[in-house]
Amino acid sequence: MSVTRYTKMAYSSADEMVFGTAKSPVSYGFGIKVGAGRVIPELNYAPRPGSEKDPARLAKEYVDYISKDVLERAVTVGFPDVQLETEWVSQMGTPKMAIPVVEGQKAICEKYHEEYGINCAVRHTIPDQREAGEEGLRTGMKGHHAYPEALFKAAEVACENGADVFSVETMGGKELSDYATTNGDVVAFLFGVGYLGSIDMEYVWKEFVNICKKNKTIAGGDTNCAGANTAMFMAGGYLDNDVQRTYSAVTRAIASARTLVAWECGASGPDKDCGYEGPIAKSIAGKPCAQEGKNCQCAHCDLQGNLMAQVCDLWSNESVEYHPEFGGSSVQCWLGSLGYEVSLMNTAIATGQEKTLRDLYMISDRSRGPEGYVLAYDNAYKIGEAIAKEGNNLYLRSRAAGITAAKLIKAGNEAKEIALTNKQKDVLVNIIKDLEALPDSEDKFFEYCDKKYSDLVPLYNKKNYGF
Amino acid sequence: MVSHKGVDYTKILKRYDVEAQNETTPESVAKKMLPSDPTLKKVAETVLYMKFKDVGPAVTEALKTVKPLSVINDGLVVGMECVAKLYAEHIYYLPEIMMAAKTMEIGIAIAEKQIPGGRETKGLVVMHAAEGDPHDIGKNIAAVMMRSSGYSVIDMGKDVAVTDVVAEVVKSKPMLITGTALMTTTMTAFPHAAEQLRGKGINTPFMAAGGAVNRDFAESFDLGIYSEKAPQTPPIADKIKAGYDWRKIREEWDNIVGGA
Repeated sequence: MSVTRYTKMAYSSADEMVFGTAKSPVSYGFGIKVGAGRVIPELNYAPRPGSEKDPARLAKEYVDYISKDVLERAVTVGFPDVQLETEWVSQMGTPKMAIPVVEGQKAICEKYHEEYGINCAVRHTIPDQREAGEEGLRTGMKGHHAYPEALFKAAEVACENGADVFSVETMGGKELSDYATTNGDVVAFLFGVGYLGSIDMEYVWKEFVNICKKNKTIAGGDTNCAGANTAMFMAGGYLDNDVQRTYSAVTRAIASARTLVAWECGASGPDKDCGYEGPIAKSIAGKPCAQEGKNCQCAHCDLQGNLMAQVCDLWSNESVEYHPEFGGSSVQCWLGSLGYEVSLMNTAIATGQEKTLRDLYMISDRSRGPEGYVLAYDNAYKIGEAIAKEGNNLYLRSRAAGITAAKLIKAGNEAKEIALTNKQKDVLVNIIKDLEALPDSEDKFFEYCDKKYSDLVPLYNKKNYGF
Repeated sequence: MVSHKGVDYTKILKRYDVEAQNETTPESVAKKMLPSDPTLKKVAETVLYMKFKDVGPAVTEALKTVKPLSVINDGLVVGMECVAKLYAEHIYYLPEIMMAAKTMEIGIAIAEKQIPGGRETKGLVVMHAAEGDPHDIGKNIAAVMMRSSGYSVIDMGKDVAVTDVVAEVVKSKPMLITGTALMTTTMTAFPHAAEQLRGKGINTPFMAAGGAVNRDFAESFDLGIYSEKAPQTPPIADKIKAGYDWRKIREEWDNIVGGA
């Protein structure tokens, strides 16, 4: 499978982007059309503790309780579309645990589609348990658990047994992004996520796309959940004091260059909901993106709850544990929360007011924090342009994304559009200085980082990335 | 496009972080806490200002005139206590904690070599992330904070099987076990481990933590206690060292961690 790098923007201007429409819409499942003029709710869930004890119990939890509850509620309230997302629990790495779930969810979607005409589909997101240490990230590294081999096996199990959309949250670069975020080292993040993480994405997604094509499954996309989301949630809100929000905003921009790689390898979208970098990736590739924000408070509290809806194609709750609530089961309650928000977006589209609603979503969070500021679609577009300009070089485009994001925040602060604490400003200035001081040569960058982080990050091993 | 130019954002949101930022400098806080002895002060300052390269020479120099245990407790540890205070007051952040802790550990390693039999720590803690769970950043941060607070840590890493946890606890007899989990279906390893430990007559508190874990779950099995975030681990350990068992930790939890 060949890799085609993005060197041009899919959209001619930022204003062209809006929720519900993508340049390259995707159809799958039972009547689902993503990015084709309508936003679709995507409901994600976690089974109750103990349901993993045996295959029958796990399948019953996912199919007879969770999926049935969601589809029943969607019909009850009159939602025309719903997408389910099953993020596999680790036990599903065993085929006998996974297959009944995948088959069962497919069957129940078909049943409700035939009975009520509801458009529905299931995204299966498999676990990436690869470890950068003794286990290794690539096949043939002979780790005790053989996790790389298990990753591709899980992809086959998902696709062969009925997944409509396939996704993963891969772990490439995590050993460096963990170090980077806990030590405030943006160069380590650039090296781990922007560079090595992108190389790992290419390694796994070329194979995933092959597996998906063979089984007529839609290859959705990936996200840097383990890196940029870790930074974002550690940066937290106004009472948190672990990681600077200017740092996390820049890591988000760097992560967008990594996320793009799945699509460059032939995946078609929609990408993953927890990839908050979606507006940047969509601006470059024009492929549909899933997002989350205000209606994922069951799982995440972030500082851009409205803004993230601005250009989404699927709107997600991130994840909720299955349990009873006053209004029904938790999945039913959160589908209601999602579905009504989506209904508002689709009403805006139907009445020609979509750009107005998009802008209100965006403006309400534009100044709430630096991460929302860089993800505001006009700024996201500028970061996209910086990536596309250096599109053929994984290092230079990631660095360009980081520098552009940092400078946008700095300019926004100087223009009094986004307030920053003194500490946030100090960190921002250092980030710009550190990124600009790096060499323009990819080889020299690798040589510098390889030497530096071999000492500082015990789990770092260049063999994991084919060096 | 609806224009955002000239929008009065104060009518939409309030930036509590900007309004409440602490303008105090590290120097002014540390001034009241640093040792008066100039040799020990120099040692403490290497930790306070995270000077990896300077800590070795400063400790080596101090060891010429000061007993090794004093270099550790009255120099390096005091520097780390300043860092903890700055962190609590939102002047320092996690990266400063991590770098200061690393600096302190370099210094302790040098000084410890001159203590016959090694340095006595406050206690031993066994830490791990549950089997099937690849996320361990929270555990790693907690481990640094425990070491910085004077505890020894056996870090078993991530994706650790219940049988391995039980075997390590039987072997090393820690005062506290911690487990972190990010999934609803991996955290179930904790009650299994606790049950096996109880079966062997071990009554050591088992701290359950991580994104999927809540206080109700952590306290749903014998031995189980909860930690919501990494900085809560040392004060809970201090209470165990002071003689609290897992039941008393549960009863006093709000007071120990400063609120529910």
